[in-house]
Amino acid sequence: MANRTAQRPNGQTQGKICQFKLVLLGESAVGKSSLVLRFVKGQFHEYQESTIGAAFLTQTICLDDTTVKFEIWDTAGQERYHSLAPMYYRGAQAAIVVYDITNQDTFGRAKTWVKELQRQASPNIVIALAGNKQDLANKRVVEYEEAQSYADENGLLFMETSAKTAMNVNDIFLAIAKKLPKNEQNTGQAGNAQGRRLTEGDTGPKATGNCCK
Amino acid sequence: MLPAQQDVLNIVQAKFLAAEVVKTIHLNVSVVDGPLENDNRILTLVEYNKSFALFVLVSSRIQPISFSDLSIESVIPLDQNFSFETEPVSGQNYVILIIRYKQNKYEFKIEIGKESCNFAAEIIHAKEVSLTGASNFTWLEKYFGTMNQANRNSETSISDQSDFVLIREGMAQGQASINRESMLKYQMKLREPEFTQKQEFTIFVGTWNVNGQPPSASLKSWLSVDEKPPDLYAIGFQEIDLSKEAFIFNDTPREAEWQKCVMDGIHPNAKYRLVALARLVGMQLAVMVNNQHYQYVKNVSFDTVGTGLLGKMGNKGGVAVRLELHNTSLCFVNCHLAAHVEEYERRNQDYKDINARVNFRKNPQAIKDHEQIYWLGDLNYRITDLTNTQVKTLLQRNEINTLLRADQLSQQRERGNVLLDYSEGDITFQPTYKFDLHSDIYDTSEKARPPAWTDRILWRGKGIHQISYRSHMDLKISDHKPVSALFKSEISVIDQTKFRKVHEDLLKKMDKHENEFLPQVMIDQTEVVFDLVKFREPQARYIIIANTGVVPAEFEFIKKLDEASYCKDWLGILPFCGSINPGEKCDVKLEVNLETDLESIYDILVLHLKGGKDMFITVTGNCQKSCFTQSLSSLVRIRVPIMQSNPQQYNLARNNQSPILYSVPRELWLLVDHLYRHGLKTRDLFESSALHEELIRIRDWMDFGSQDPLPGTPQAVAETFVLFLSYIKEPIIPFELQDVCVAAASNFQNCRQLLIQKLNDIHRTAFIYICMFLQELLKHSNDNGYDAKTLASLFGDILLRDSIRNAKPQASRGKANFMYNFLVNDLSALLIPK
Repeated sequence: MANRTAQRPNGQTQGKICQFKLVLLGESAVGKSSLVLRFVKGQFHEYQESTIGAAFLTQTICLDDTTVKFEIWDTAGQERYHSLAPMYYRGAQAAIVVYDITNQDTFGRAKTWVKELQRQASPNIVIALAGNKQDLANKRVVEYEEAQSYADENGLLFMETSAKTAMNVNDIFLAIAKKLPKNEQNTGQAGNAQGRRLTEGDTGPKATGNCCK
Repeated sequence: MLPAQQDVLNIVQAKFLAAEVVKTIHLNVSVVDGPLENDNRILTLVEYNKSFALFVLVSSRIQPISFSDLSIESVIPLDQNFSFETEPVSGQNYVILIIRYKQNKYEFKIEIGKESCNFAAEIIHAKEVSLTGASNFTWLEKYFGTMNQANRNSETSISDQSDFVLIREGMAQGQASINRESMLKYQMKLREPEFTQKQEFTIFVGTWNVNGQPPSASLKSWLSVDEKPPDLYAIGFQEIDLSKEAFIFNDTPREAEWQKCVMDGIHPNAKYRLVALARLVGMQLAVMVNNQHYQYVKNVSFDTVGTGLLGKMGNKGGVAVRLELHNTSLCFVNCHLAAHVEEYERRNQDYKDINARVNFRKNPQAIKDHEQIYWLGDLNYRITDLTNTQVKTLLQRNEINTLLRADQLSQQRERGNVLLDYSEGDITFQPTYKFDLHSDIYDTSEKARPPAWTDRILWRGKGIHQISYRSHMDLKISDHKPVSALFKSEISVIDQTKFRKVHEDLLKKMDKHENEFLPQVMIDQTEVVFDLVKFREPQARYIIIANTGVVPAEFEFIKKLDEASYCKDWLGILPFCGSINPGEKCDVKLEVNLETDLESIYDILVLHLKGGKDMFITVTGNCQKSCFTQSLSSLVRIRVPIMQSNPQQYNLARNNQSPILYSVPRELWLLVDHLYRHGLKTRDLFESSALHEELIRIRDWMDFGSQDPLPGTPQAVAETFVLFLSYIKEPIIPFELQDVCVAAASNFQNCRQLLIQKLNDIHRTAFIYICMFLQELLKHSNDNGYDAKTLASLFGDILLRDSIRNAKPQASRGKANFMYNFLVNDLSALLIPK
């Protein structure tokens, strides 16, 4: 009813919150758990225990207009758990595939993961490639340029990181957060691993009532 | 209340938020049976929005001098789980106050006296109030976090056992997001001063009862009289349309006409945008904001309430608009209350009804919960106890203050009957009602109503300063004159940089909190290796799941993708799901029972914590070969007991690549031969169950071979015979033939044909061999008690066993009928084709 309008200015909102499932994949001992631990708790342990299972943590990142909450699944890297990985990347909106810049095999394995994700994961998944252990650059065997061009060819975000020195750790998560689509259809229901929009700063007027209430 | 007690109460109140009101306290309480000197407790009853809770505070000083001396020991909500009683102690001047909450019991010593009586009465009252309304105790959530660690672990602490655990649990289960959102908002509000600053906005509020007249004059002399353009306008009309149509259909062209007139009349030195326009019959409220502020207006909503005819109709009532300007919530209410001099109580009631019934359907929903409220309209309060002449005389003498003493609204407000807590500026203008149309002359009609200040503007909230309050005599088209008030109001404006900093800081804290409250467990092994796994010889291993976190851990072994069950069929997990309290553990039994032909067992179990991580447990073991799970076609190719065969022979036989050596497997022959010689006359041969060890001995005797005679009683051998036929890799009558066999069961010749044409030699020979043995058994039915029907039904289910083990047998009767043919007819001819 025209006589009962409450117009909606584009009120400056305090930002919507989008929730995304992010999975870390990669050969064992490349530093997946260390990256997560650095990102979430700001800690680093030289002798991080091997993950036997899939660790779960959450962390929020604030962007200019939105807040992104990551549900992070840090998977076991050992080959024998490979067949269980789909449980974790299925429905994920983001993945970080990690390799160790001092170990060529782990880079090969990373490529296999990328292929598997491209084939089996959600088609819109945002994949980031992380060349970890950058602090050991003097022992490097995987060249930056090689990884960068591989990432470019496959449309991946790419950074060399160091969980030990914290280099690029926040940055890679931030880059993913920025790249994730934060539109309406990508913000579905809670819990089903869809990025979900928790709040709206501004909603429409309530249903118009009848006269003479 | 004693003065000392009042002092402490003020200190205790400082421990809580302003909205969490400390209703009463009890000092000098000690804990009964406490481990230490447990004095210095203060029992505190706190109310928040009609829900009550009892806090047990510990004071670090005998007499606290600051709220920092107090720490919260326990929080007990006064809901339906709450009960309390007092127990006198003979000869003592104190009683034991016993408080129960769910399984928890708290006992305190309190001195008998006025204080304890009052306190008990307050608790009884509070519990009643708590139970009548839909009390919401989420406000308590934040307090369990403040309880110090020692208390949290103490047995009396509620946080370990009661509802608060559930709250944390909920958080762990992904339900946190809703709580999280409201928690974030709440925490942001608490820290608002850190990221906001007050900024003054000018707000112009106007009200005019237009007496059903169409707009025919410029409103500039009302809306644009101030030098500077205001930041926000809230303009209310009453009686824009008195027609029946407007009343019945709530639809009128006047709305747009008056609104246009308003837009034309507002200050020309600024551009304005309409934020909300709400109307109910003749009451209309428009809120316009200076363009430059438009982007800072959000969460706009409105509601209308009719209090007129029947208490519902829209000829009287109110329309309200709420919005947030920057970080301050504003509410404007335009009302038109009941008419007539004597109806002031009706007006008070209308006011209450509007307050009670306006619901903006967003937070906050009610008028009263806004930071700034501007109440305007034709409130219709009159001047009492003075005649028309008296009023006019006083007006002529300009004795407005004398007249105001007779103003009903001022009187009613003084008595607290209406607009309590609202402020109104000094009235310096003459009454705005009732004028002859197009004049400044008060009512000269027959009714000769005395003049009154019916049109008013009031406000409530912090930081509102009225600059002017006036009437506008130039507008003469109505019997009322318009009134306006200009305010300088402090609006809290967000500093984006600081806001973001606080926001991020809070989110980080909440992430930390959330991650700390994730369920955590340790398991003592992630590799479970079984000893050599043997056919039907169960073996168990135990894993220990210990809850090392701070919340109960609900665990469950979950299915892997594309798998039917959470583990392979050779494994049993008990329990496969459960809940473990913090600090406790659970033994999980993994039992392997091999009934199929496997060289080794291998599975990865996924142990999932609800709302948390997954752990993998790898189960492995090597298996011992056994004749029981082989196929007939392999067995007839193996000359020696299976464990004596070398791997090469064994593999060739398995792949049907070595020559057939026996017409029936030697194991089958051994069992039948033994039963033929020792069991024909044994009563209930197949019905009695043997000792497990006995079966194991027979199994090993067959698998390994031995010089010794076959061990075990005839019944044990008979059971082994049944087991052998039940577990053989493919049933004697293969799955794919079973349906046709059952279909042919009524006719022996057909059954016979099937056997000859469809069944391969190995299976046919075995089948006839078994049937001939059973016929032999029937010759001794006097001794063993079996008849053909019983054996047919027993062996029908075995020789034609279903593909899914342990399921309810399918078509048992048909299978028995099929078997029956072969137990009562001569089979010798069947052997000839070979």
